[in-house]
Amino acid sequence: MDINFTKEDIAFRDEVREWLANDYPKHVKDKTDNGIALTRQDMVDYHKAISKKGWMGYNWPVEYGGTGWSSTQLYIFNKEFGLAGCPPLLAFGVSMVAPVIWTFGNDEQKERFLPDILNFDTWWCQGYSEPGSGSDLASLKTKAVLEGDHYIVNGAKTWTTLAQNADWIFCLVRTDNSGIKQEGISFLLIDMKTPGIEVKPIITIDGEHEVNSVFFSDVKVPAENLVGEEGKGWTYAKFLLAHERFGIAGVGASMRQLNRLKEIIAKLDNSELQRKVNELEIGLSAIEITELRLLSALENGGHPGAESSILKIKGTEMQQNLSELFVEAAGEYALMYPGPHGYESNDKPAGPDYAAEGLSGFLNLRKTSIYGGSNEIQKNILSKFVLGV
Amino acid sequence: MNLDYNEEQVMLREQIQKFCESEYDFYKREDIVKSKDDFDVNVWQLFADQGWLSMPFSEESGGLGFGAIELSILFEEFGKALVIEPYLSTVVLSGTMLDRSNFADKNELISKICAGDMHISFAYAEVNKTYDYSSVNTTLDSSNVLNGTKTLVLNGSNAHKLIVSCTKDGELVLVILDSDMDGVSMNSFSTVDGQSCSEISFENVKLTDDHVIASGDEANNLIKDSINLATLCVSAEAVGLMESCYFKTLEYTKGREQFGQPISNFQVLQHRMVDMFIESELAKSLLIKAMLEVNNKSDEMYKHVSALKSYIGKSGKTSAKEAVQLHGGMGVSEELMIGHYLKKMISIDALFGNSDFHLRQIT
Repeated sequence: MDINFTKEDIAFRDEVREWLANDYPKHVKDKTDNGIALTRQDMVDYHKAISKKGWMGYNWPVEYGGTGWSSTQLYIFNKEFGLAGCPPLLAFGVSMVAPVIWTFGNDEQKERFLPDILNFDTWWCQGYSEPGSGSDLASLKTKAVLEGDHYIVNGAKTWTTLAQNADWIFCLVRTDNSGIKQEGISFLLIDMKTPGIEVKPIITIDGEHEVNSVFFSDVKVPAENLVGEEGKGWTYAKFLLAHERFGIAGVGASMRQLNRLKEIIAKLDNSELQRKVNELEIGLSAIEITELRLLSALENGGHPGAESSILKIKGTEMQQNLSELFVEAAGEYALMYPGPHGYESNDKPAGPDYAAEGLSGFLNLRKTSIYGGSNEIQKNILSKFVLGV
Repeated sequence: MNLDYNEEQVMLREQIQKFCESEYDFYKREDIVKSKDDFDVNVWQLFADQGWLSMPFSEESGGLGFGAIELSILFEEFGKALVIEPYLSTVVLSGTMLDRSNFADKNELISKICAGDMHISFAYAEVNKTYDYSSVNTTLDSSNVLNGTKTLVLNGSNAHKLIVSCTKDGELVLVILDSDMDGVSMNSFSTVDGQSCSEISFENVKLTDDHVIASGDEANNLIKDSINLATLCVSAEAVGLMESCYFKTLEYTKGREQFGQPISNFQVLQHRMVDMFIESELAKSLLIKAMLEVNNKSDEMYKHVSALKSYIGKSGKTSAKEAVQLHGGMGVSEELMIGHYLKKMISIDALFGNSDFHLRQIT
């Protein structure tokens, strides 16, 4: 057994650190470090800087312009970005729709969509959940009917992250109602500028506009935008979820939060908080080593099994618990909440800096145990595939 | 990076598993616990024959030179089978301490341990000295006369020799003496997990310089490392136990029918068993980290052993309690292993600093 990275991996880690020190756009860093929300342009600048370095296709094969990195390199990349406090990379284009396109799409679709994703020239969003279809996603009702060479799409998607910024949406739509619910689903790419699409904000409890409802009324989508075969969308969706789950533990980002928390607590002389921080430190170490075990298995030719569901559950709980300790550390100042964009206003509230930020994180991160297959769904997955019941 | 066990380590685990299945099933264990002896001398001899008693000793001392990884494997499997033989006491606490020391007679003593012919217990604990084993009231005066009382000496009543921590002129000293020397008296009792331990008084026991293993910093380090390794071992035992609690509970709920179906069909039970599985995996991860740090003798090893011990003290107890609950009435019956797992987990948490104590060491 050897828990250390190879020389090559250490050299790679240093290269990532060097980029973060020199080329991570300064205006993005300044805002992020101070808890100020990023604009659409900030996010574009950030992603384009990564594209320029050639790292946008971090989980892509070389033949499509990706990095061809090993699982370990990908882990290091994720962890270092997290440790540096970078915003999470938008997954919708690069690591969600792209693998579906290169695996199941035709050559024309690959040429049309993949380079733009790699350069971050198109912003993608995900049309999965519906008002009546959350965990039971396969019950979705948004209908696509083929008329000539177009699909006519009607229905509603919800919880659509950053749809207000998106150029394109990949959607699961129902093309057939006759068989079992999983079999009538298709995977459709839709230009957000198409007439008949309406985006309405959903404001979440942290006061942020991150998610939306997206309504489709007689939206005409060219039939050539269907990926793969009609009726096979559910297979592609499950394939996509497997790609989504990697790195979801957010170990690097949690380590950064833990270290900041330790600095804060050290000044407070509060043994109860210290105790809770120590518990989280041990828990985070357990998650980190579990992810390394997964990595080691992958590097030795194994397949990700139960570990990815464990990482989803424990990683998101950890993010939530850390944010809650920031709130507890703020004590009575936690009652003041200037909103998610806090210190953009001129009136800087009283109390420590981390008070408002902690609360914004605490409220915002409630989503993590709900999205990406809720933690209860993860436990159902583990029941089926590990317990065998 | 490679976190797989190597071929020899996998074979060692299989060897121990096979032994536990064929020679140490639950009924056999019950017989040993209920007998007047504290453990089975024949089983102990089999340990010697398999080479297990020689495992952690250096090759210069006649051992196999195995490290913390192999010991962890052994204790994980011992935990699953609830082995009560005093490996921890004789081999880990006392044997490895002697091996690391410069004591003149250590090779002779270690070869007797390896052969299965000798038991040595380490008397480290005293009343009202919560987990700080460097602070002791037992004294060795200037003429090497030993006075004091040690408590919770594991396997004390079967020990041929005792290693005792004491102070001489304010300096920590480790001495080793025959347990039947004049002035040594013992009160022995059984523990919740079926083992035995003793309260031992030393009244004007006359020793010489030849009885001294180490003093000062050397003694302190020997104690610290011996306790640290033993802490890793009982934690590994807890990790094995957690895995068994999960497996046996799953097996039981699949076979137990109520309301016309196996109770494993119920989601509320499924999710609780998933939690047991997850906790067992996370504990395994912390074990891997801790045993590698101990194996490499890194500066961080104490911290990682504390992290592991703190974690299993809580999650191990939770798993064992859940196992009892999900077994229903059978969970509290002496006839099933499950209740004994809970008792073992209680004793593991109590040894060498409980969960709260080790949580404070992380700071």
